[in-house]
Amino acid sequence: MKTSFPKALLARHETYLALIIILFSIVLANATTGFLTAGNLLSVMRGGAGLGILSLAFFVALVSGGIDISFPAIAISGQYIAIRAMLAFGINSIWAAFGISIAIGIAYGLFNAFLITKFKIPSMIATLATFNLYHGALLEFVGTEAVNVGRIPTSITEFGRMAIFRFETEQGPLGLSIFVVVWGAAIAATWFIMRRTMLGRGIYAIGGDAEGAKRAGFRVTRIRYFVYGYVGFLSGIMGIIHVSLIRFAQPNNIVDTALLRVIAAVILGGTAITGGRGTITGTTLGVIIIILLDRHLIMLGIPSAWTEFFIGIVIVVGVIATHLRMKISRVRRGELVVDRAH
Amino acid sequence: MTTKRATNVTLFIAFALVALIMTIAMPERFLRLINLQNMMRNLPEYALLAFGIMLAMTVGGIDLSGVSVLSLSGVVAGMILSRHQELGMGPWMTIILAMSAAIVVAAMCGVINGAIVSIAGVPAIIATLGTNGLYLGIAMGLTGGSGLGNFPLQYIRIANGNVLGIPIPFIVFVVVAILLGFLMERTSLGFQMRMLGASPVAARFSGMNNRVILIKTFVIIAVLAGISAILLTSKVATMRPNFGQQYMLLAVLLSVLGGTNPDGGFSSVLGVSLAILTLQIIATGSTFLGFTPFFRNFLYGVMLLGVMIIQFYRETGQLAGVMRRFRQPFARKKPAAT
Repeated sequence: MKTSFPKALLARHETYLALIIILFSIVLANATTGFLTAGNLLSVMRGGAGLGILSLAFFVALVSGGIDISFPAIAISGQYIAIRAMLAFGINSIWAAFGISIAIGIAYGLFNAFLITKFKIPSMIATLATFNLYHGALLEFVGTEAVNVGRIPTSITEFGRMAIFRFETEQGPLGLSIFVVVWGAAIAATWFIMRRTMLGRGIYAIGGDAEGAKRAGFRVTRIRYFVYGYVGFLSGIMGIIHVSLIRFAQPNNIVDTALLRVIAAVILGGTAITGGRGTITGTTLGVIIIILLDRHLIMLGIPSAWTEFFIGIVIVVGVIATHLRMKISRVRRGELVVDRAH
Repeated sequence: MTTKRATNVTLFIAFALVALIMTIAMPERFLRLINLQNMMRNLPEYALLAFGIMLAMTVGGIDLSGVSVLSLSGVVAGMILSRHQELGMGPWMTIILAMSAAIVVAAMCGVINGAIVSIAGVPAIIATLGTNGLYLGIAMGLTGGSGLGNFPLQYIRIANGNVLGIPIPFIVFVVVAILLGFLMERTSLGFQMRMLGASPVAARFSGMNNRVILIKTFVIIAVLAGISAILLTSKVATMRPNFGQQYMLLAVLLSVLGGTNPDGGFSSVLGVSLAILTLQIIATGSTFLGFTPFFRNFLYGVMLLGVMIIQFYRETGQLAGVMRRFRQPFARKKPAAT
């Protein structure tokens, strides 16, 4: 049975997300000056790239039927250890920074996978424990001292200024930041893995039904190792993007705000917490909603002390709406007969 | 029942062992009355949060918003208390008003959590993570992020006072533990909560109203967090929105350590209480040894993983062989006696 074009579009979660973004943009464009300028939009994208990359990581973990809440601790560990190592050994190369951070990220991610697959610890409990393990180890064994702008290696700050498609405006030169390029590459890579490889099919399959996937011949343990390793890999990249953006390394950064925003973006994007369902388009649209809110609530006259409250409201309302919509569509499709089951 | 007793016996041995080690290693510091009183005064504020996580896990969910319910109800109570001179209703009336406000606000948070989980059908972990940000956001907005103080002296004396040498917060903890034990073991609500956690579908087909049970559970959890807020603000005589945020992992750790099944259906108030007492001794010990709070967090992470790994070996039966050999002297006596 073929559904007509607008009907198919209305059935998609992403359509509603896009509508929300358009509506919010119209409100912002009318209520504030300077929202719809190239400078502002490029700067919003640049600031949101780190969140976007972390959201892809969280998305992959959720689709596989697990959850990884240790990613903020992984990202800050990669970042801070990389910076301290570069300072200690006098290395000044962006490749070294990414290399160290990604290596730590993958190692930590694989350790999560080891705990989850070998000892069958629920991924929520395991990563809650490793969150504290990684962050506690960082503060205890590496240090608590902040590295300020003057001491950050120049290769890091130069990387933060890199941009493509440069053009001149009255306010100065503008361009698409390298962060957005990295974010785009991460989206493309994740899309390719999830949609065009057998591995990606396996990730969706074990999220839908791990036992069924196993009987169908998927190597569940290997797939889980890949998933948590990939979360670590992306977190490692985000760590360096973050330090290049704010040019300041402090071991309590990222862990304070990232978790809630990333989860909000991914869940708003329509990814099922129970696994097996979710799209990269939805996740990316969810990220855009969160970064627009984060950056522009102050412009709408909402005091900064209430920003967290409004983001909380959006998350709670968004999550309820998403779940009710999915429930209704599942009942309509006949997948869910008793909708009153807990 | 036997696994439950076995877990509690293991926990009691751990508790006794830790207490013994501390007594032998540093008797002059550990066994001093002031130290014991400090320990009893400090543990109730997170113990009540741990009981909350235990209840949430029993019904098959989790409540990550407990620490923010604590923040919000603490801030509401603090706002009333810090205006005690302007309100002009006498210190005790202000205190009663502030305490009731804290409990009412907490209960409202619980109703919201329960409604989102049971009526909208959002998984508890996501629902409470969302409301966690929401409640903390309200607390931040109300105070502008700054601290509250200037509480009436009578209020500060509550958590800092003793009855027959026992700190009042510890008495609150014991009373709450007994009430919860009664709730879980002797009432139909406790039984229904365990049923729901074990199998929601079976519970529903046996005629239980899952939604009402879930909402009741989340209200109890939130009220525990509200009581915890009163104890905390009274003890430290100030309130900041970020107070108590570090307790989230600790509460989950204590709940799992106390033998609660994270998948639902099984918990023991006695087990969680023993875990709380043991961990408080370890925390005090690590302070005496000069460990930083970061290292303590690291240790908590290691312990949580350790408990889960032991549980894995117990479930797969690999631990049974070792345990059987260990228990043989006791096992042999049994047939001889009968």
